[in-house]
Amino acid sequence: MKWLLLFKVAWVALQVNLMRSILTMLGIIIGVAAVIIMLALGAGAQYEVDQQIKSLGGNVFIVFARGRATSGARGAAGSVQTLTEMDAEAIEQQIPQVTVAAPTMWASAQVIYGNLNWAPSIQGVDNRIFSAQNWQLNQGREFSAAELSSSGRVAIIGATVQRELFGASDPIGQSIRVDRVPVTVIGVLDAKGQNTQGNDQDDLIFMPLDTVRKRISGRTLASPRAVRSIIVQVADERDMALVEQELESLLRQRLRTTGTDDPFRIRNLSEMVETRARTMQIFNGLLAAVASVSLLVGGIGIMNIMLVSVTERTREIGLRMAVGAEPADIMKQFLIEAMLMCSLGGMLGLSIALLVTKGLEKFAGFTAIIQPEVVLLSIGFSALIGIFFGYYPARKASRLQPIDALRHE
Amino acid sequence: MTQAVIESIAITKSYQMGSQNVQALAGVDVRIQAGEFIAVMGPSGSGKSTFMNMLGCLDSPSSGEIRIQGENVTHLAAAQLARIRNRYIGFVFQQFNLLPRTSALDNVMLPLLYRPDHSDAESFAIACLQQVGLAERMDHHPSQLSGGQQQRVAIARALVNQPAVLLADEPTGALDTETGLEIMQLFQQLHSEGKTIVLVTHEPEIAAFASRQLIFRDGRLQSDKAVQAASATEHLQQYRQQKMQEGLA
Repeated sequence: MKWLLLFKVAWVALQVNLMRSILTMLGIIIGVAAVIIMLALGAGAQYEVDQQIKSLGGNVFIVFARGRATSGARGAAGSVQTLTEMDAEAIEQQIPQVTVAAPTMWASAQVIYGNLNWAPSIQGVDNRIFSAQNWQLNQGREFSAAELSSSGRVAIIGATVQRELFGASDPIGQSIRVDRVPVTVIGVLDAKGQNTQGNDQDDLIFMPLDTVRKRISGRTLASPRAVRSIIVQVADERDMALVEQELESLLRQRLRTTGTDDPFRIRNLSEMVETRARTMQIFNGLLAAVASVSLLVGGIGIMNIMLVSVTERTREIGLRMAVGAEPADIMKQFLIEAMLMCSLGGMLGLSIALLVTKGLEKFAGFTAIIQPEVVLLSIGFSALIGIFFGYYPARKASRLQPIDALRHE
Repeated sequence: MTQAVIESIAITKSYQMGSQNVQALAGVDVRIQAGEFIAVMGPSGSGKSTFMNMLGCLDSPSSGEIRIQGENVTHLAAAQLARIRNRYIGFVFQQFNLLPRTSALDNVMLPLLYRPDHSDAESFAIACLQQVGLAERMDHHPSQLSGGQQQRVAIARALVNQPAVLLADEPTGALDTETGLEIMQLFQQLHSEGKTIVLVTHEPEIAAFASRQLIFRDGRLQSDKAVQAASATEHLQQYRQQKMQEGLA
């Protein structure tokens, strides 16, 4: 029998018991919709995490200076500056996998412009920070060599600082006071938004390292070139473990550390984000697993109805056999019917999933991504369920004896 | 001797019914030649229906052989038997067995759907509906047709694959006398056009329209004789006149 005709026959059979077909399909519809929605939300969450890691730099280490323990009494973190700009240069030059090592200082200070004030985080940096942390300039320029070498009174401000102090007016060239030091704004950073912990990443001001060291923090430093942290960017994320080891041994050597207690700490920024992502993935996987149980239940519903259908149509089967249908023809007919029901259910489920995810994105602020392969997979999978659960009823139909089937009341 | 269209050679059929062994057929030899119109008669339980199912390859004998155009089909697999039925046999049933919610035309085309090499199934089906006088109703569903019309559609379905033999099992059993006579008239017409017809009935009046009568009793062939066939057309005329007179009286 020709395939097109088989589909036509199956379609007619579904229409004959329209209500029953729809109710049977409902199991598949709900199952497919649930699986797709869960996978879409999972993919959306993954996407957001990936974006955050990208903005943080998934290939970035931060090396913090720690207080040295002297005679067993540890100073507060940063009380003694152990890391210096020279360490940053050594890292950059001696570890080939490192693209950039940006030394940073930080302090907090009140920033005043006109009658407005704000308290962002003040970071002493050089131009390497831009590539190390993926910062882009929205307006203005980077620091000049002269400004960097002579504690220039210039600042590049984050988007939040711009908004709070300047509102809509142009900040470039304006003078602000940072901890009573007048400073000229030379640039504004592109906004990065919140990080995974909900902290505003744009609430900061970049100034040259020396400016922060000498004019703002006002601390006694162990070395005139001391820094509080070094941001290390690795060319390839796959080299992270290797670079961590190399950093450790290089810094221990440079800081003449002999004991087990390092005067620095190496942290991987993306670790925390990834932990969160993993938790989320497990959660979503669990939900998708629960959803696929409903697909299974839907499949059993299909089998049930197909068995009823075979019994109801025993005489039809007998007649078809009498006029020349081979067992394989009968088998195909019922398999296609089950498959059609499941594929239709799958497509309806997909449409519902599309609507629901659009709604969730619009009204609940979720990010949902329906990947094309998920769509193909779910339609294909529901057709497979049709074949799997339709097989037994179809085989039962094909094994009927024509004579018994014709006599069936 | 010319080759038989269908012949049964010493076929027996026995089956278990509970603990009892029932002998439905106990050695039947029948040769059916092309162009014959045969009535198979006998009381219920005589084995006539079992015999018919054997001829139609719906059932296989416990022993003996069924040959269709000289080919032994006794021990073929289910799929091969289906192919034989599709090509050589046309069935007409007492209960018509049309597919509901399917047009007369689609019902008639059904046997050809199982023959993938067949082209032009539709024009064949229309020709068959014309032959039974229902061409103008080919889009009607069975529920929109009278019993006699439904049986005509069923006959057209039996003709569409140009079978070697038409097997009719009590084709008038579910119809009133007049419609039954009309159907018999159609069978006689088909016979005159050269079709081979085997008809099972328990009514002697219906069997009288055939030209050879087989009478079964207790699983055996009791008699096999050629008879002078009565004319269904004449009977129909007589019946209608009688009814008209009754109506007038």
